[in-house]
Amino acid sequence: MLKIENLHVSVDERKILKGLDLSVNAGEVHAIMGPNGSGKSTLAQVLAGKDNYDVTRGRVVYRGEELLEMEPEERARQGVFLAFQYPTEIPGVNNAYLLKAAVNAQRDANGEPQVDAFEFMRLIRSKMELMNISKEFLNRSVNEGFSGGEKKRNEILQMLVLEPSLAILDETDSGLDVDALKIVAAGVNSLRSKDRAMVLVTHYERLLELIVPDHVHVLSDGRIVKSGDRELARELDARGYDWVQQEAARA
Amino acid sequence: MTGESSNGRFAAGLDRLPGSAETAALRAAALEAFSATGFPTRRNEQWRYTDLAPLSSADLDFAPQPPAEELISRVAAMLDEAGFDPAAPRLVFIDGGYCETLSQTGAAAGLSIASLASCGAADVPARTHAALDGHPLATLNAALVSDGAVIAVDDGAEAPEPIELIFVAGGQSDLAAHPRIMIDLGRDAELTLVQHVLDLEAASGWFNVVTEIVQAPGSTLTLYRLQDHGKLRFHTALLRAELAEDAKLACGWFDLGGQLVRNDFDIRLEGSGAEADLYGIFLASSGQHTDNHIRMDHIAPRTKSGEAFRGIIGESGHGVFNGKVVVHRDAQHIDARQSSDNLLLADNAEIDTKPELEIYADDVKCSHGATIGEIDEEQLFYLRARGLDEDEARDLLTFAFANAVLERVELPELRERIADRVAVHLADGEAAGEHP
Repeated sequence: MLKIENLHVSVDERKILKGLDLSVNAGEVHAIMGPNGSGKSTLAQVLAGKDNYDVTRGRVVYRGEELLEMEPEERARQGVFLAFQYPTEIPGVNNAYLLKAAVNAQRDANGEPQVDAFEFMRLIRSKMELMNISKEFLNRSVNEGFSGGEKKRNEILQMLVLEPSLAILDETDSGLDVDALKIVAAGVNSLRSKDRAMVLVTHYERLLELIVPDHVHVLSDGRIVKSGDRELARELDARGYDWVQQEAARA
Repeated sequence: MTGESSNGRFAAGLDRLPGSAETAALRAAALEAFSATGFPTRRNEQWRYTDLAPLSSADLDFAPQPPAEELISRVAAMLDEAGFDPAAPRLVFIDGGYCETLSQTGAAAGLSIASLASCGAADVPARTHAALDGHPLATLNAALVSDGAVIAVDDGAEAPEPIELIFVAGGQSDLAAHPRIMIDLGRDAELTLVQHVLDLEAASGWFNVVTEIVQAPGSTLTLYRLQDHGKLRFHTALLRAELAEDAKLACGWFDLGGQLVRNDFDIRLEGSGAEADLYGIFLASSGQHTDNHIRMDHIAPRTKSGEAFRGIIGESGHGVFNGKVVVHRDAQHIDARQSSDNLLLADNAEIDTKPELEIYADDVKCSHGATIGEIDEEQLFYLRARGLDEDEARDLLTFAFANAVLERVELPELRERIADRVAVHLADGEAAGEHP
């Protein structure tokens, strides 16, 4: 599904990712953990196609295609979804409009007809219920005046509606209380399937108790320095990141 | 241009305009007053950013003919096509002249709606001339006015539904129309009025409109204007309002078309507790020039005003906002807010924005702010990351900028109409899509 090879990324001449390798197969959930500043969010943003990042070396292959050659919208239409760490507020554009436009962009790319109002409501109703989002929400401007939890639930709602092949969740657990975290996790888990891959970028282990990953990677100083299963996440939670970094330094 | 030559230019039209000998004398006096100054030039501070040379040098016909049957039926078809309700109370003007066939004055208690000509144009220049000092184009309107609307609401009466004033330019090139709108609201009266300005087909010409409003204590007036001229038309307008105690005026101004557009507002808050709220959107691209010029006089204490305009300036467009708030001596407890927010869509788009305050009292709350920005890159990326292509995302964000103002329009059908037209203009003539 996704193969990242020797990825080097700089921002304003500053090197952030320094030779990152990662391979994600369909059906797998990977967690990328690491201390602040290790490059986790840069990885998520580069995969989604944000500019301001210079890819100096390496490549990313997504379903056999060069992902980095694609415009952000092309990636989205091909099934790549980024749940933003800080979802952008867009006053004047309502949620219903954005959701519909996103669905239609994807359908257009697949040569499918546009969604009509009735079908659209049918498509989103149960997903809104799952994310504990009320109907009034559809007429509100995207993320404007939303609480932190509402913004994250909104990201997951969009993901559920768009049913991506590759979902990248950037610190989706940050700023959530326990109840909101459970809702978000239920949403993510409902989307797990053998055809779909997920990359969870997170700082804390608590999300991974609810969304159990198949693989856990530690990102440190721009590279993956250790990989394991969910036990690694627990160990990191108990012992912190220092020992992994020391181990990496010795290697 | 000298007084002599402008006089000669208008004289031919003057002979063909309606009215008695007395009216003719008043017209002549107004024309003389106009000719003393001529068209304002950019040397005049009030006109610093707006050059009327293309207008003052245009060869225009100042005495429009009454519309022929064939033209009336074309206008009727266009209005039907555009979804205007022929049964709604409305006055339709073609090339500045009243068209009774397409109008619907109806009857409601305490409300009178009539064309200016039908209630005798004779006293009109007299009544307005003195009040229009300092506005040369309005003075010219006083000389050349041929028709318009006179609307009055009696004390305590409420117009049951919005009244539409529809001004259609009929396609005759180089025509100059000088309509006059007079609105008189009695004590505690209420009225909503929607002014539509549109072209049957793209042609050059000039609309020079004067609106005069007198509001008695406690009256409420809600005014909207959707100016949707073709891009060859000149449009200048003065709106002058006098508000007595606790009178409320709200104006939503939407300027989408026109080649050169200048709106002057002259609002006088004369009674304590009076409130005026002006807001709007203007679009200027492909060489369009739109200028909103406001003077807000807080004459009485405890008066309140708001001005909030948003400009969307595209390719070689030029927008101007000049808002001046004057708080008179002893007018205490004033609340005045001004904002001018502008979105520039092209490198050669230009905006001049100038909020001004002149305060001669000490207990006042005044705020003003101006912003000039471009499309937000973070918002753009967010939309693209959801699959919208870049152009679509830009159009959507531009529309969203306008939408914040559109939400203030209280008539759902009008809001929808304006939104549709904004979307059409932003797509620059392409078919309108759905909008949020």
